[in-house]
Amino acid sequence: MSGENRIRAILTGLAAVAARPGEAAERLKREKGKPLVGVLPYYAPEEIVHAAGMLPVGVWGGTADASMAGHYFPPFACPLVKSTLDLALRGVYDGLAAMIVPALCESLTFFGQNFRAARPGIPFVPVVHPQNRRTPEGVAYLRAEYERVRDRLAEIAGREVTAADLDRAIGVFNDHRRAMRAFLEEAPRHPSLVSPRVRHAVAKSAYYMDKADHGALVGELTGLLKSLPEESGAGKRVVVTGIMAEPEGLLDLFEEVGLEISADDLAQESRAFRTDVPDGGDPLERLARRWSLVEGCSLAFDPGKERNRILLDLVRNSGARGLVVLMIQFCDPEEMDYPLYRKELDAAGVPVLHLEVEPRMSLEQARTRLQSFAEMI
Amino acid sequence: MHTLGIDIGSASSKAVILGDNGEVAGQAVVPVGTGTTGPERALHEALRLAGIAPGDVARTVATGYGRVTWQGADRQVSEITCHARGVLHRMPEARTIIDIGGQDVKAIEVDPDRGFVRNFVMNDKCAAGTGRFLEVMARVLGLEVERLAEVSETSARTVSISSICTVFAESEVISHLSRGEPVPDVLAGIHQSVAKRVAGLVSRLGVRPPVVLTGGVAKNRGVVLALEKELRTEIRIAPSCQLTGALGAALIAREDLSKK
Repeated sequence: MSGENRIRAILTGLAAVAARPGEAAERLKREKGKPLVGVLPYYAPEEIVHAAGMLPVGVWGGTADASMAGHYFPPFACPLVKSTLDLALRGVYDGLAAMIVPALCESLTFFGQNFRAARPGIPFVPVVHPQNRRTPEGVAYLRAEYERVRDRLAEIAGREVTAADLDRAIGVFNDHRRAMRAFLEEAPRHPSLVSPRVRHAVAKSAYYMDKADHGALVGELTGLLKSLPEESGAGKRVVVTGIMAEPEGLLDLFEEVGLEISADDLAQESRAFRTDVPDGGDPLERLARRWSLVEGCSLAFDPGKERNRILLDLVRNSGARGLVVLMIQFCDPEEMDYPLYRKELDAAGVPVLHLEVEPRMSLEQARTRLQSFAEMI
Repeated sequence: MHTLGIDIGSASSKAVILGDNGEVAGQAVVPVGTGTTGPERALHEALRLAGIAPGDVARTVATGYGRVTWQGADRQVSEITCHARGVLHRMPEARTIIDIGGQDVKAIEVDPDRGFVRNFVMNDKCAAGTGRFLEVMARVLGLEVERLAEVSETSARTVSISSICTVFAESEVISHLSRGEPVPDVLAGIHQSVAKRVAGLVSRLGVRPPVVLTGGVAKNRGVVLALEKELRTEIRIAPSCQLTGALGAALIAREDLSKK
């Protein structure tokens, strides 16, 4: 098989996983013979799940009508948690061994309470991250939280979770993050092979595969891409920021109007792979220290507002002509950050498009906005 | 060498044909939009007025809500770019353009140096402040849309409409009428409501005068006066205000040909 054919084969496989995550998760459970643990966004200690001999799968809602969740949430609730609760109420997650729910925003906090009441049959594992995350006390507190999570997952798995298990899992996840970063850096050089939808599928598929397997495939993919000459893309490069780039039809619009994604600052994509677990010492403390190293994320308290600089650097260093903000509806943390980085980008002369997104959005108005932005930049 | 710009909106279809020297050779507005016979009727009327056959059109650019599905274009361009292009052709002094269409409102900031779009905002998920809102209210008041401005001029005071949602605003208007409020006063409140919604949108962009209004609603003097009051600035009306998008599209088609 030629390099380009192999690239297409890998991308097709990953796209199939991303397009049908439920089926992919079932297949993962069957093939690996391990229990699955649902993991809601963001910064959950997935390494502990892995160390306990189980496999984490991402829980990022869906595009179905979230009518059943209306019993628990008002119409103006975050669509991500609302659709997740709806899927839970419909029994979609009943096969999971547990559900880990970080409480990094109010919506997730309320989700956790509602989920616990709505689906008592699925073991509920909350995680509360400290917002004073860079103090020794903050790290110690989070280590204690992770210790509780480890003990609970060990109980569910029916086995001990040792420091060696955790160290091995941390190695797998750090390797995977490195592989993803290398891919995301290489992808913009090959826009005809890695369209915005394909780029997203590579990142999303990571949540529904064994991290070691996914990392190996992505590593092979990146190596093959590097062997190809860089394309002189016909499109205009932009950086995207926000929580996630869905619905996927939205990304097809990027391609349709001639926009290429040169870099992203999405919670589901680059932000998830940006920060490694640091070396040295007790593995639970290493996991806790990772949270203290996170930069430029709306979910992590950041008095210095590093995100402003990070976004400006991403635009400048990736050769982008502008920034597209995919603002998921009713997302308080993202909306709080927006005026601050918008001000800095405006001052730097970087065009910004603010696009409100939700899982079941009409794409017609989005098309006009994206096309106008592409014509403008 | 003729070029055609066709603006297929949600409520109307507009066509402009430019002649050899870039002059308007034919133009037409048909009050039905995408998914109807409106685009073809506007096209045929513009061709008839220009005195040319379809084969005489060298290039066609489509814009508006129906631009993607209409089959007769060589290229499609967003209505934001086309309105800016059309307005700047007629009024190069424009710095902020407000287009109030059938189902959306757009505020466009124009780059004074390059003559292009620098920034824009659009309404989202809500028809308040659009032509459709006025159509619904006209029906409740038993008036033709074309008569709204004339009737509102006889208003003695403004009856405020507090609901934003078109459906709730309709109920509120009915309630005012049933209490005996005069139609012109309620209508003044409706115009004020549209102006407040549009002003709220424009303020997100920043108001840089001169401000130019385009779209069918620009023909309603009552809305224009209310908008001037809300924005605290003079509003200029683009010539042939319904046709600026189609004109911009025809100009872009002409530029495309000159590049070849």
